[in-house]
Amino acid sequence: MADLWNLIILNPMLNGLIALSSILFSSFGGAILVLTIIVRLILYPLTIKQTKSTKAMQELQPKIQELQKKYGKNQQKLQQETMKLYREAGINPAGCVLPLVIQFPVWIALYQSIMRALFTTPENLLGLAQHLYNSSVIAQALPLSSHFLWLDLGSPDSTLLLAVIVGGTMWVQQKMTTAPATDPRQKSMNNMMLVMMPFMFAIFTMMFPSGLALFWAASNAIGIAIQYKIMGWGYLKVRHPS
Amino acid sequence: MKQRKILLFLGMLCLLGLTVTSCMSGGSQPAQGWSGVASGDDALYMGSMGGEMVSVDTETRTLVWTHAFSSVSSGGFMSCGQTSSPVAIYGTPVATEDLVYIGIYSGKIYALNAATGQVRWAYPKEGSIGPVVGSPVVVGDVVYVSSSDGRVYALDTTYGELKWKSEVLDEKLWTPPLVTLDAIYVSTFDGHIYSLSPDDGSLLPWVFKSDVGFVSAPVFSHGIVAVGLFDNSLCAVKAGGSAPEWSFLGDSWFWAAPVVEDGIVYAACLDGKIYALNAETGEMVWEFDSQEPIVASPVCEGDLLLVVNESGNMYVFDTNARPADKNMKPIKTISVEAEVKGALCVHEGIVYVRGQNNVLYALDIDKGMIDWQLSLAVE
Repeated sequence: MADLWNLIILNPMLNGLIALSSILFSSFGGAILVLTIIVRLILYPLTIKQTKSTKAMQELQPKIQELQKKYGKNQQKLQQETMKLYREAGINPAGCVLPLVIQFPVWIALYQSIMRALFTTPENLLGLAQHLYNSSVIAQALPLSSHFLWLDLGSPDSTLLLAVIVGGTMWVQQKMTTAPATDPRQKSMNNMMLVMMPFMFAIFTMMFPSGLALFWAASNAIGIAIQYKIMGWGYLKVRHPS
Repeated sequence: MKQRKILLFLGMLCLLGLTVTSCMSGGSQPAQGWSGVASGDDALYMGSMGGEMVSVDTETRTLVWTHAFSSVSSGGFMSCGQTSSPVAIYGTPVATEDLVYIGIYSGKIYALNAATGQVRWAYPKEGSIGPVVGSPVVVGDVVYVSSSDGRVYALDTTYGELKWKSEVLDEKLWTPPLVTLDAIYVSTFDGHIYSLSPDDGSLLPWVFKSDVGFVSAPVFSHGIVAVGLFDNSLCAVKAGGSAPEWSFLGDSWFWAAPVVEDGIVYAACLDGKIYALNAETGEMVWEFDSQEPIVASPVCEGDLLLVVNESGNMYVFDTNARPADKNMKPIKTISVEAEVKGALCVHEGIVYVRGQNNVLYALDIDKGMIDWQLSLAVE
């Protein structure tokens, strides 16, 4: 299983990042940014589908609110009717989580690549040998510099800046797609969701190598741009009803 | 609503998985160390996997003393318990008549009393330099140590006072300096071999620059510096020269520093092979494939060459043999059935090796078997 993981995911990503660094004037941070763009390009069809799905769900909000008024006291019936409405509109509510799930292995492989490629420990350097392709480009690119902007890509950002950027961009991205709710319970739930994920990622930014957090920040920024292109600022500019 | 719950659940699951992955060894390998074994008069000295220096009496086959190094917390916010991790020891200690010298990963260099294990001196007294990975080198009354802050330090052996420190030569130096009478040679990951003055650590005019970085420590013989590179080659450079004299290509890195004996360079490779090369031409004399990466440097003992691979198989070769087909066969193989990365030590006909399972093995070459073994775990 580990061999398969290395062969299919870790080794291509690790060697790709090293080769990209070589092309980008020995900038490992630049290589992570390019990787982010590549990953988002691969996921672009899914992201588009998700964004359109979210937009369609927004358009269904008046009807959903009507259902909430009608079946507010019968949660099971409300759920059935809501799902029926989604089905009729051709929307898969679970579809929006797919890009996130697909990115999960990328995060793990990126984390492992960063730790190995930047020789964060002697063990990582020793382990690097068995993951490298036999290429002069790769050999000449080593060692990689861990410095990018104010960051040491192999360590968590000692300032709070990157955590704020990751949390902030994630909040904006979520806010753009969070429909206003009239039901107090739903509103409360929405508000919690809106804060919880950005907060969690901000915390994780302070725990993980900043190279990984750089990927999250860039990925969020690209996500915002895609959503803006399709649906404008969405609910970011809309005041939620009190 | 349901969709958001799923999103939150999956997000939390992902982050939990990421945390677990990062904390386990498959994600990133934490600093654990691979200390080699050094011998004194009747005792052995080595770092344990628990971050202690230990002394073992070879007569009674017991631990004489242990010295635990205090760990310096370097963990970030909510790190995976790094504060309680033992200090990794990578280098092989150097034992003199009354002191044992070692550099540790928390960035300190120590001289311990060889009889009691008490600290004679520590450098620096307060704080730390960059993590020390390479073994210390003692020549005369000076101990030389390279550090992850990119400098080489020269300390007085008796009091640990700083004689000099070099300028920053690379982002980090993990291989020990090569000390000769005329110069100190330092190979760097970024592809330089620097020569330093042994008197004050200043840079001497000769610097060798390669397009590819150096991964192994350099060795010096008859004016030639041999060192492994990131492009899977081992190259020999004449001190003062501007181009490699020869280069030999393996299938992976020559991680371990090679040894030179009687005009032959014995180079162990992470491709699992040990190569015997003509020191003048780089031509292969023979090779042997151990099937597993070789991390520790080979050792020459009389007419014997001792090589241990990462899986703990030690091979004994007759250095006088010259197989016609260039495929060497070991005269003996002894297995310790433990992962081995640290340097071997030969003392009175017995080979000592510390496994990554924190056990010291004594291998009897004549009998071709493990003579005794001792756990280094301290209760």
